[in-house]
Amino acid sequence: MNWFGLTLGFATLFMIGLGFVWVIRGERYFGRLWWVYVMAAGIAIIAATLFISNNWLSALLGGFGASLVWGSTELNTQAVRGELGWYPFREKKILPPFADVIQKWKAPSL
Amino acid sequence: MVGLNFVGISAALATFFSVWMGHALVRKIERETADLRIPVGIFIALGLSFAALSLLTPNLILSAASGILALTLVWDAHEFIRQQKRVQRGRAPANPNNPRHAKILAEHPEATTFDWLDRDPRGSQYSADELAAMKGSAK
Repeated sequence: MNWFGLTLGFATLFMIGLGFVWVIRGERYFGRLWWVYVMAAGIAIIAATLFISNNWLSALLGGFGASLVWGSTELNTQAVRGELGWYPFREKKILPPFADVIQKWKAPSL
Repeated sequence: MVGLNFVGISAALATFFSVWMGHALVRKIERETADLRIPVGIFIALGLSFAALSLLTPNLILSAASGILALTLVWDAHEFIRQQKRVQRGRAPANPNNPRHAKILAEHPEATTFDWLDRDPRGSQYSADELAAMKGSAK
């Protein structure tokens, strides 16, 4: 029996669950425009796993990087949920660098 | 030259696509299916199959992807029930052509065919009057 995949599955489920928390909190205080940086960090982490020879570390970081990429696509919808009053709303956000440029881009929403 | 390790990529692809597909499929199937026990049963069976594959294969790349798929599919089975609750609360739009949803629309005052999330963020919170007008205009 090979428990590698299922143990990893539980760990990944936990990281996806954490995604719900940071997407909600992150959007509230920092705003949706950070999606570019979150997505870039996720992709960078996934790319880095190619060079990590330890299988556990490579796999866990792969799941974590993917949950960052996914979460980055959820920030836009989460902003709408806040505006609708489904979550506590803060109008003042801590904006990312180049927020005025990112503002003009179409944010991904899957 | 040390070879690249594809275990992380396998875990990343399985995670991203299972969350994406789960997100889309749960909403679509919950909307169309009259009897939720059928998709719940199918997703649990699929999840258990991937769990078995993950346990039995000696290949770590395959074990990683199938282990993640196993857990997310079983979670999706649970999400069908949670999605039904969102429809009851009006947070996800009801499908009047689905008999189960028609019953929800009749029995839950918050349930609606209006899709609240089908809009872009505008940067400010909606007032109670605006929310009422939005829902009213969509009937």
